[in-house]
Amino acid sequence: MTNIINYFQSSIWTIVSFIMVTIIILIPLLSFLSYSFFTVDNVEIIHEFSLYNFKEFLTGEIYIPTFFRTLLLALTVMIACMITGYPIAYFLAMYAHRSKYFILLILIIPLFMSYIIKIYMMRSILGYSGLINKLLMMFGIISEPSEFFLYNQNAVIITLIIILLPLIIIPTFTSLEKIPRNIIEATYDIGCKPFQSFRYVIFPISLPGLIVGAVFVFILALGDFVTPQLVGGTSGFTYGKIIYSNFGMAFNWPFGTALASILLIVSVIIILLTNYLTRKT
Amino acid sequence: MTRAETFTKYILGFLTIFVVIALYAPIVLTIFYSFYKTRKGKVDWDSFSYEPYTKLIFEKQILESLVNSVYVGLVTVVFSVLIGFYFANYYHTHKGKMREFLQFVIFLPFLLPPIISGLALLIFFREVGLPRSLNTVVIGHTIFVLAIVYKIILNKLETLKPSLMESAYDLGANKLQAFWYVLLPNIKLSLVIAGLLAFTISLDETLITLFLIGDDTTWPIKLWAKMRVGFSKQVNASVTLILILTTTLVLLIAWIISKSEKKIMY
Amino acid sequence: MSSILELQNISKNYGSSVVLKDINLSIENNEFFTILGSSGSGKSTLLRIIGGFVKPSGGDLIFNSKVINEEPIFKRPFNTVFQDYALFPNMNVYNNIGFGLKIRKLDPKTITDKVEEVLSIVGLNDFKKRMPHELSGGQQQRVALARAIVCEPKVILLDEPLGALDAELRKQMQLFLKDIQKKIKTTFVFITHDQEEAIFLSDRIAVLNNHQFEQVGSPKELYYNPKSKYLASFFGECNLIDGTVDHINSDIITINTAFGKINVKNKYKNISQNQNVTFAIRPEQIFLNQNKDNNSFSTKVDRVEFKGAVTNIILNFPKNIKIKVQINNAEEQIAINENDQFNIYFDPNFGNLFVND
Repeated sequence: MTNIINYFQSSIWTIVSFIMVTIIILIPLLSFLSYSFFTVDNVEIIHEFSLYNFKEFLTGEIYIPTFFRTLLLALTVMIACMITGYPIAYFLAMYAHRSKYFILLILIIPLFMSYIIKIYMMRSILGYSGLINKLLMMFGIISEPSEFFLYNQNAVIITLIIILLPLIIIPTFTSLEKIPRNIIEATYDIGCKPFQSFRYVIFPISLPGLIVGAVFVFILALGDFVTPQLVGGTSGFTYGKIIYSNFGMAFNWPFGTALASILLIVSVIIILLTNYLTRKT
Repeated sequence: MTRAETFTKYILGFLTIFVVIALYAPIVLTIFYSFYKTRKGKVDWDSFSYEPYTKLIFEKQILESLVNSVYVGLVTVVFSVLIGFYFANYYHTHKGKMREFLQFVIFLPFLLPPIISGLALLIFFREVGLPRSLNTVVIGHTIFVLAIVYKIILNKLETLKPSLMESAYDLGANKLQAFWYVLLPNIKLSLVIAGLLAFTISLDETLITLFLIGDDTTWPIKLWAKMRVGFSKQVNASVTLILILTTTLVLLIAWIISKSEKKIMY
Repeated sequence: MSSILELQNISKNYGSSVVLKDINLSIENNEFFTILGSSGSGKSTLLRIIGGFVKPSGGDLIFNSKVINEEPIFKRPFNTVFQDYALFPNMNVYNNIGFGLKIRKLDPKTITDKVEEVLSIVGLNDFKKRMPHELSGGQQQRVALARAIVCEPKVILLDEPLGALDAELRKQMQLFLKDIQKKIKTTFVFITHDQEEAIFLSDRIAVLNNHQFEQVGSPKELYYNPKSKYLASFFGECNLIDGTVDHINSDIITINTAFGKINVKNKYKNISQNQNVTFAIRPEQIFLNQNKDNNSFSTKVDRVEFKGAVTNIILNFPKNIKIKVQINNAEEQIAINENDQFNIYFDPNFGNLFVND
């Protein structure tokens, strides 16, 4: 009897929990997906099933190229963050000894500092008369201020790296730090030189952490629309910016949603893939 | 340590220093510009003044957006900690496929690009006829930070021994008493950490907020709007103040974590 | 036999705290050598100095008559079996074992042959595809050992490898280790805090106490002729009886104890009249019910502890002195009860005298 009551109670909670997440997360996501099959007439949204938006995506001149350019951009940001973030996480975990948590904290704090401000200030750092140009000229590397850094793809990439870099350092550091000291000693004991020890043991063990961080960076870079808006100029047009513009001036919610749902599908595939890859090791 | 290793160590050390400088450059510049004026790209070193900070009192719009942000942050903390605790406890005390599914759904808004969470809620609110306001922003923030809050509380719950609650029941406590006298005191630090983190994230959330805000403004949205006309020194001053606040919050979180870790050790 | 590894005046200190001082040791080729010490005695540090993980503060480490102080870890022909195994979590059993050979750039065929051979030595052929976390403690232990021996090191260092195993498995692994060592004929340097384990496994034992070696010798030497009171009670149980030297002649020393005079065979050079001494004798070296003129005492039984193969009898002597006597249950089939009156006899040939400061 108590078993039945317990079972009943437990299934009530299960139902309540299910309803809660459904209302706050699943239904919004589903209504979002359904919108991508609607169309718009002037300012009225027509709630009828149609594949028009996806046809538009496939046939429109700018959408697919922009999509792939944005994928490439996110990939570039991700790789740059991996190349910079991994050595830093490695330095913290292996060489920074007691001050490792302190330095980690210093690296994390900017993550919580105003996102808009960081982007805005990157303008005055990267701009024609910005800090970077001044420094480069001061050291005699260039003689004229360069326009390489602002209102283009480069600016978007550099800014996204500055914003997202801490995200890759945290999980990588955690996975490196968890490697027991004696496993590293065992590699030397067995005859590894330091680089072999890194290549065959330390790196493979820390790889899942690096992947998790990299995926975070990739997805956030892929969906960002504020950074390209502020520092990208006209050539820094990204997929996220197109989505956003459909909710502003263009006012074509269904089409914006259709574009976003493609982003959603790509993201979910990446998340599931990461989950699978990191679980196996 | 071999010579190659020592060399590597120094190279990596320099890289770390360089990255710290790069990460802080935009922030330091903001603080700098709140005190000094520039004219045609040249810094006027005599122009130091903290006047923008006192003038901030008269900037009604900025102040209002700050108040709004704090309001949104606080309500988000309450909701996310309550719901986060509920689901963490559900996951901790139940078995089966359902809990994995719920966990996955909770993680979705955090893992997906913010633009998607923002859009999904925007469309949802439109369909159910809920007008956009600070309250819809609160819902958006709650869903966004829920995964972090949930994970922090769940991690803490998993460290507790099952015998803890069992012995409370064994000694005659009912569910409420066991929760209040045994479970809560043991997890309260994780609730505080989760809450502080939720507040810090909410304070600066921009990408989801942009879709849900309507006619009100929160502080990041005000900055976004002001950016087109360029920042006044008062804006820079408000940024500096918020930076101090978030840094304090993060340091507080770190301090609590380091304290609670020591507690576990003894 | 010749000495393969020599430690000369090895010392180690961290700042002002001394861990090891003036350690001298010579380990023979192919012997099973155990360093025995309680936790915090510095035994692990000593092993880590040999392995190259820790630099000594002073002294020389000599391998085959060559000083190897500065030799980096990966060049030393030693391999270590770590306390918690330290298996590489990203490699399966086969790759864990073959890793050292791969690093040495052996050809794949040789690697396969050697790994298979070692796998069958440690009896893990069926587990070669498993990941470390899919193995039990004992199996992980075998992999760690296999990984060390496959590289054919001149010395295998074992850092309390059995510490984490439960009692039953521990016994099995002890037998296993002894077998392996005979089979592969390699020098083992083994660390433990467990005296029984040390006695069972070792050809020779070095006891580390207060940062120095208290005694180095075969298990029998250490058990029957300990050099100090500390060692006497460190290896197995021991009755310690305080007294003063009554008189000395060429083959017998007589001491005065709280319950009478005891004669002990004189094999000492440093003992003189009236000195305070302690007489140490093991419970199984005391005989029951033998009434002789000398060295014979009668008293009451305080407690009887039945232990299966043996029985411990604790006897009450004046001044609250308790003496433990152990009898073999197969030999002495007598019923002993509390408060029975008994005679015990100390054979002068047994026991040791230690001078007290």
